[in-house]
Amino acid sequence: MTAVSRRRLLVFAAVFITAVYLIPVYWMVNTSFKGAEDIFATPPDLLPLPPTFGSYADAVFSNGDIARGLMNSGIIAVGTTVVTLLVALPAAYALARLKVRFVSAFLMLFLAVQMVPSVNLALPMFVLFSGAGLVNSYAGLIIANCSLAVPLAITILRPYFLAIPEEIVEAAKIDGCNELTAFWRVAVPVSTPGIITVGAVSFLQAWGEFVFGLALAPDERFQPVTVVLAGITNAFGTKWNDLMAVSAIIALPVIVLFIFLQRYIVAGLTEGATKS
Amino acid sequence: MRRTTVRPRRGRLNVAPYLFLAPAVAFVVLTVVYPLIYNILQSFFDVGLREVVRGGAAWVGLDNYRDQLGRSEFWHAVVVSLVYSVGTVAIAFAVGLGLALLFHREFRGRNVLRALLLLAWILPTVVSANVWRWLLDGSYGLLNAALSGLGLLDRDLFWLGEPNPALLAVTVATAWSFAPFAMILLAAGLQGISPTYYEAARIDGASAWQQFRSLTFPLLRPVSLTVTLLIFIFTFKTFDTIFLMTGGGPGNATETLPVYAYNEAFEFSRFDTAAVATTVLMVISIALALVYFRALRNEEGA
Repeated sequence: MTAVSRRRLLVFAAVFITAVYLIPVYWMVNTSFKGAEDIFATPPDLLPLPPTFGSYADAVFSNGDIARGLMNSGIIAVGTTVVTLLVALPAAYALARLKVRFVSAFLMLFLAVQMVPSVNLALPMFVLFSGAGLVNSYAGLIIANCSLAVPLAITILRPYFLAIPEEIVEAAKIDGCNELTAFWRVAVPVSTPGIITVGAVSFLQAWGEFVFGLALAPDERFQPVTVVLAGITNAFGTKWNDLMAVSAIIALPVIVLFIFLQRYIVAGLTEGATKS
Repeated sequence: MRRTTVRPRRGRLNVAPYLFLAPAVAFVVLTVVYPLIYNILQSFFDVGLREVVRGGAAWVGLDNYRDQLGRSEFWHAVVVSLVYSVGTVAIAFAVGLGLALLFHREFRGRNVLRALLLLAWILPTVVSANVWRWLLDGSYGLLNAALSGLGLLDRDLFWLGEPNPALLAVTVATAWSFAPFAMILLAAGLQGISPTYYEAARIDGASAWQQFRSLTFPLLRPVSLTVTLLIFIFTFKTFDTIFLMTGGGPGNATETLPVYAYNEAFEFSRFDTAAVATTVLMVISIALALVYFRALRNEEGA
């Protein structure tokens, strides 16, 4: 076998394996464009021809519950991202560049809490939040999401601050910056990639989060779309095309963000998990 | 770990850095540490719905633990958790390693394909769980259609309606999400192996399989340990995939510890025994995390 044909074979194998692996994603999109009777075809149609947008029209756009869920998820995810950045940025900076004692103990704390199961937080939070009036509120859901997003964000951000050349920060201080202004005017702007990474990761995790929404928002008015979808699954019964349309809409922002920020997201999620 | 800080002169503590840290530490203490401690305490009290609403729970010592450790349902949940986690790790690691080796070769379109695979990993759980439910549908699911097309199945197998197929299904679905993550970490490990090893092996006439067995696999050991432990920790505490695919059913065939704990609290309003289950879950997670941290440290020291 020549080198060229061997390389061709390799490309073909890689394309084939990737395609097979992503059948679930394809099947979601495919089913979401099918009509009510097409989904029960045996054997199933591999292409949704002719495609219909009926499921998107009925299940997503004219379904008030889903629309409200999407809005709630948006509010919770944006809120989580903003709060996480505000809290994590200065902390990561301090652990990277300032004179702090017990740095490794702090790092260990932030790394260790990432290992905590969500259920372990959701159950006591329900009890504690009940007492504090935070059940069924955006604030409660944002706080809950931040509890896991903040430690992860600090772990991801610290290496970016470590990488800033000392001269830049020193020059700023000579120019009359104090600790806070040096951080805000110099360190934060040059760490934009890290901030994009943390922003994207926090947003994605909060957007797809399920357990906190389930435990802390019994009232439908505050439920994120993930919980709304789980709640109406039984009502949808076998309307798989509608279910897949809603699933596709939930996946859409994730896929769009991923297309544009893939490099950042992968770096953030893998390094957050493996760096100490 | 490199120390990047200089100790301040004795007696003059600079407060500013701690002000930078304070919000994050306060946040983590209030939203993670305090709920965790509260959760552990709850496991020593008698807490039902009335106590949650009105307070005033009675101290019962180890009664809740005695109650749970004597229950076959509790032990069943522990065993299911272990089977589910070990199965997920095994499949995700094997598939991830295969993918990492495939994409370690240079060819056109490599990066695009690798990025596409990562979609499986970052899709929200609600989405993937729903898609898997549809793929596995007994009457109209794609999987059964494919299996009957190949002549491997002659009945409507309701995967999520039978105990063992359901456990296999949630394990495969979870592994599907984690394998690309394993791929990324293992690919980074492969990058770190010097090509000179392989050149030497080739000169010695080693076959591809021999190279894999005596070079790649041993040299990947530190990364493999990290990947295995991380995916085990993540899977062991997974709640949403199982809750959404099977609800722990049929019966309690797929009821892992997190699902068991959730049901104790929100189905039966037994917050105290739920706290026992989550405390046990946490103790196991912490033990695993400690093993993981030790492995990390050894890796860095190596």
